[in-house]
Amino acid sequence: MADDPGTERFAAMGTRVELHRFDGRADDALQAARRAIEAVDDALTIHRPSPATAMNEALLAGRAAVLDDDLLFDAVLAAAQGNADTYGLFDIAADTRTGASWAMVTLDAHTRRIAAERPVALDFGGLGKGFALDRAIAVLREAGVASALLTLGESSVAVLGEHPLGGGWPFAIPHPDDPEQELLTLELVDQALSVSATVGAGTRAPERAATTRPHTGTAVTAPLCAVAVEPSGTLAEVMSTALIAADDSAAARLLRGRPTSRFRFDLGPTHRPNPARILAA
Amino acid sequence: MTDQSFDLSRRSFLDRVLAATAGAGVAGAAPWAVAAANAAPTGRAPTTAGDRVRIGVIGTGDRGRALMRNIAKTRNCTVAAVCDVYAPNLAKGREIAGASVPAFTDHRAMLDAGGLDAVVIATPLDLHARHTIDSFDAGLHVWCEKAMARTIADCGAMVTKSKSAGKVLQIGHQRMFHPTYLNALKRVKAGEIGTITQIRASWHRNNSWRRKVPEGADDRHINWRLYRDSSAGLMTELATHQLQVGNWFLDAVPTRVIGSGSICFWKDGREVYDHVALIYEYSGGRKFIYTSLLNNARYGCEEQIQGSKGSIEPELGRIYAEVPPKVLALERMRQDVARGQKRAVPIGGATWFPELPVTTPGESLGWGEYDETMLQFEGFAEAVRAGRPLPGLLAQAYQASVASLLGEQAMDRGQAMTWPADLVTV
Repeated sequence: MADDPGTERFAAMGTRVELHRFDGRADDALQAARRAIEAVDDALTIHRPSPATAMNEALLAGRAAVLDDDLLFDAVLAAAQGNADTYGLFDIAADTRTGASWAMVTLDAHTRRIAAERPVALDFGGLGKGFALDRAIAVLREAGVASALLTLGESSVAVLGEHPLGGGWPFAIPHPDDPEQELLTLELVDQALSVSATVGAGTRAPERAATTRPHTGTAVTAPLCAVAVEPSGTLAEVMSTALIAADDSAAARLLRGRPTSRFRFDLGPTHRPNPARILAA
Repeated sequence: MTDQSFDLSRRSFLDRVLAATAGAGVAGAAPWAVAAANAAPTGRAPTTAGDRVRIGVIGTGDRGRALMRNIAKTRNCTVAAVCDVYAPNLAKGREIAGASVPAFTDHRAMLDAGGLDAVVIATPLDLHARHTIDSFDAGLHVWCEKAMARTIADCGAMVTKSKSAGKVLQIGHQRMFHPTYLNALKRVKAGEIGTITQIRASWHRNNSWRRKVPEGADDRHINWRLYRDSSAGLMTELATHQLQVGNWFLDAVPTRVIGSGSICFWKDGREVYDHVALIYEYSGGRKFIYTSLLNNARYGCEEQIQGSKGSIEPELGRIYAEVPPKVLALERMRQDVARGQKRAVPIGGATWFPELPVTTPGESLGWGEYDETMLQFEGFAEAVRAGRPLPGLLAQAYQASVASLLGEQAMDRGQAMTWPADLVTV
């Protein structure tokens, strides 16, 4: 079932995926990238039996699990690194109902054994999307693709190389509640972009869970939008999520020294979401 | 059609069936089609008349005559007698069969006259069981139109009698031989549409389904499909085909059925429902959802086979990937690049999109421009010669007929009906 030449479009990880290449070649690199994303989906999904659900069943039953699946193991390692990089703000174990958090999880990277002090379930959500983008980009790079744009939903984007017409790939980030209003524009080269928000159409999608502030165990209710541009999709997802989960002082710490790559907008009714509202250090 | 083009299209049809059934897992799921296509006579010269299986046709109404035309296309069957209790239909049957072919108004007289190897039964549903059993008693093999019989008990009796008589019983389900359906099955077995959890099927027409009654004729005879003594209406005359497809593609029989039936539009004295809606449950929570009605034809006849990675609509001959709507901003970006233009791509909003029906064109499964009913008869003739039925076919037919009649019971009683535990073994 073929798509447009140079384009691969499919559903995975609970959203729509588009892979675009611009080098005019007709090899199967895009199909290989698709398989890489689907493999991550198969490993991390919690919507059908998977290595992730097997791990969660064990952790919820109070048992340890050994992460035999390489993709799952790498994703858990990435989640642990993300937690460390964000002072605990990025937390795939956070649950407002149970008060669970990553702090209760023990991971032995040598034996691949994971355990928890109390029942927890890990939800890879956005991290999985960034992780999948990184895998797909690696496949395309290995195949010699020089210029490509990949999206997982519209909130997770990665670009390979320069724009086909040269220079960076320009993006305009819209206000989540008003697509006519632009929050910022930016350009990417060999980078990934992640957008997280607590308002807008995306937050009204079925089964969408609110972002949790791990340090308080509460859901973030303030109208916020965060944008992160990072060298990898995984890190971009980690940072955009952490910027939403952070309180003002923690956000300032994450934003410090990154005025052109990390952004957080307060979208409250009394504020205008312009550059002056960006809480950069 | 010239003989040469007939040969070419026939060969092409058989090749297509064989190609479809060569796919992994298909032969096991459609063994009858493999057997029929492999056994179909090949070569230019038709089998001589003396070598053909001699068939007596019981019932030469519209359907019976259509079957006779298909029999005429085969290389190994010939109509050797015709029978109908209704003189105008018998006369039309003789026009097709030829004046030299014996004609009867009583099926017993035809059976007693001898000179036959098998019968084709295309009579009202309530007569199928009697005509089948009488034919077996006369030492003949039987090809019978679907549905099998008016009651589940009669369906079982036909199977039992076939076994005790040692004769072939084949039921007319042409989709089981259709290259498009076989191609669809091949692509399902290859995993192209993922795990099938639902089939949504419909047969919608916008006509009364009532035939004009000629002067001197009896309405209950002409319009037998509208009366409960002789038919379960939409369930046995239409749904049976699609229930067979459901069982086939879900590789199981239903565990339970619930349904609602009504005479909703054509309040003309008919006794059978003109509007049915049923849900057949299968193991693992899978469902076959069925509607049939007679006052709206927009959605016609179709089985929408729905998997986690795609859908198949075999009547339209299309397969569709689960492709979400395009991101318009990315579409515009591609157009910009093609024009040498570079503009900011408005993207990055949280992901959500309206869940409207997807209208992508999909991909063709290949059309069957040849009539698959011909292959049914060639397969039947080879089964008659071998004295062995085409494998797997009767079980499919029996289960489809039981499903249709169980659905009728669920609607009549207003309660869920579980799959009978006392069915005969095929």
